[in-house]
Amino acid sequence: METATNDEQIVERALSGDPDAFGEIVRRWERRIFALAYGMLGREEDARDATQETFLAAFRNLRGFRGDAKVSSWLHRIAVNQCITRQRRAKVRGETALEDEAEKNAAVFALPLESSPARSAEAIERSRAVRKAVCSLPPDLRQVVVMKEFEELTFQQIAEALEVPLSTVKSRLYTALRQLQLRLQKFGENEVG
Amino acid sequence: MKDTHHERPVCHRAEDLVSYLYGEAGPTDALDFRNHLQQCDACRSEFTAFNQLHSSIQDWRNEALGASFEPGAAAVRASDLTHFVHQERKLSALAALREFFTVSPLWLRGAIGFAALLLCALAVMMVARLPRKPVETVAVDNQPKYSEKQLQTAVNEAVERKVLELTAENRNSSSAAKPKPRSATSPNRVELTANRQPKNRHPGLNREEREQLAADLRLTLPADEEELPLVLPEQENPN
Repeated sequence: METATNDEQIVERALSGDPDAFGEIVRRWERRIFALAYGMLGREEDARDATQETFLAAFRNLRGFRGDAKVSSWLHRIAVNQCITRQRRAKVRGETALEDEAEKNAAVFALPLESSPARSAEAIERSRAVRKAVCSLPPDLRQVVVMKEFEELTFQQIAEALEVPLSTVKSRLYTALRQLQLRLQKFGENEVG
Repeated sequence: MKDTHHERPVCHRAEDLVSYLYGEAGPTDALDFRNHLQQCDACRSEFTAFNQLHSSIQDWRNEALGASFEPGAAAVRASDLTHFVHQERKLSALAALREFFTVSPLWLRGAIGFAALLLCALAVMMVARLPRKPVETVAVDNQPKYSEKQLQTAVNEAVERKVLELTAENRNSSSAAKPKPRSATSPNRVELTANRQPKNRHPGLNREEREQLAADLRLTLPADEEELPLVLPEQENPN
């Protein structure tokens, strides 16, 4: 990752008392973390909250940052934990954010104005089914899919961020794609049936 | 419902498949896998399905984040940072506590509640056992205030005055009472010079009182021992 070395230096600056250093970290990673949170949670509002909570947690635990780890790994781990915590909390509250509300809200916020008239109902349904399928994946598989598809990271970058071997990333992604395919086939059969 | 997932044979080149799918295979590996696709039905089928899936996920991503969304691009909106800082300040202790309770399991909530009740009971007991302060007297402004030195001087003067009064009374009483003439040559009387008290130490004691005091202290000799020749020889036998 190009910014990896610089990120660690910025964290060092933040640790030495530079008030602007952490803001630089936020600027660099905000969009990636939001994309990750959105892919993990499937809802924009939740993704924004999770992104904010991720940086808050990172700021509070800045002194606990291990110098031998990469900032990207550190932030991704915090973000994924935040997403899992939010999902668990939603479960405790009895919310079905990923299924009902997400579907309802997705049709409102997701469609760009210029393309919405041209989109067919079938495409919307397909997108909704994909979102449901991704969100129903186990967290370790979902994480790899989101990092690849939403953050557009390379396999090597994902491996570094997750601190796992490159082959593990590929095998997880392959397993995730197979599971997604299976779930979407079920969805298609249910829709037809 | 037929599960096609288990029917399809799985090729051992799964990792090569995803590398080729996402365009991360090197030129040589890409050419090699392209040749493999022509021969392997399982990989060709999966590649087609995965490619379609990849397109669907990208559609969803573009719908959600916008087609121009670049995750790696830095968001330089200062308002975001301001909002971020505000959010940090807005997270009150009560909100944090509520959030903690929300994600905690039931047994942990019960344990925390019990511990809180126990702490409250202990605090009440400690407060009840605190020693009460004595009521302080309030000085009236009209009354004169004395310093410690002045008070000590006044006490000393009062004591001296009282001592003088008592001394004068004792002198009067001792001069009024006439003491019996003491016979210095009486052999029956033993004077214990060692037990004589100096006059200046007890000016108020007359002879009777001193004898009574000596008797009380059992310093006088018993009657059967008075005849013993304990007196000085020159007084006992003048010859």
